[in-house]
Amino acid sequence: MSAARGGAADGAPDDGDPADAVLRALADQHRRQILRLVRGGELAAGEIASHFDATQQAVSHHLQVLARAGLLRERRDGARRLYALDPHGLDPVREVLSELWPTALERLKYVVEQDQLTTTTAPKNAGRQP
Amino acid sequence: MTAPEALTATVRIGAPPADIFPYFIDPALLIQWIGEWADLCPEPGGVFALNFSNTAVRGEYVEIDPPRRVVFTWGVPGKDSLPPGSTTVEVVLTPDGPDTIVELFHHGLPVEERDSHLEGWTTMLGRLERLSR
Repeated sequence: MSAARGGAADGAPDDGDPADAVLRALADQHRRQILRLVRGGELAAGEIASHFDATQQAVSHHLQVLARAGLLRERRDGARRLYALDPHGLDPVREVLSELWPTALERLKYVVEQDQLTTTTAPKNAGRQP
Repeated sequence: MTAPEALTATVRIGAPPADIFPYFIDPALLIQWIGEWADLCPEPGGVFALNFSNTAVRGEYVEIDPPRRVVFTWGVPGKDSLPPGSTTVEVVLTPDGPDTIVELFHHGLPVEERDSHLEGWTTMLGRLERLSR
């Protein structure tokens, strides 16, 4: 199954933004651990599940979320489902950096200017308003 | 298509450079505006480690020239598209009257279609922050 769109089966609404799907997929430590597991090469669903205490069904759900987000490639080998890291899966996240900095700098501005307000309260100029 | 090109962001802050510079070298101050955890050793070759939104950013300081300029590398271990050392962030603080213009250049990022979808990212990041809290 290739990255299906419009599949709202994950419970979270799928609004069709690929980075959204990627980031949502990454916002779970089990799924991040799965990605680390398959980084070295293709693994069967069962092998992946053996690393977790969770049920196979739960792991299978995580695999589906990752596959839908484009982070994993899935292929069948007989009855087995094999998963590998999709090297382009994180591309949308890289694009996020383009918005990361403007957003972060706005926050920096807010924090510094708040800090100026609190540290400049009494000393020199403050308290002089007519 | 994938030619490296600096990504830039600029902001004007109502404070002198000396009051802003520490926010790039002091972990407790840095995480007030980016990330949730930081380990910083502000000297050339010193570690620049930052975790934000479930991403581990690792790099090192390249240049520290208080209060005007700081340069550090930026990458994500295990991420083929953005390995540690692959990109560089350069921050320049220029006084302008009582304010400071903060210019940030992120060098070495692949271009791709990063300029599209810009509007969606802010809301998406806000959602992500709530998720990762």
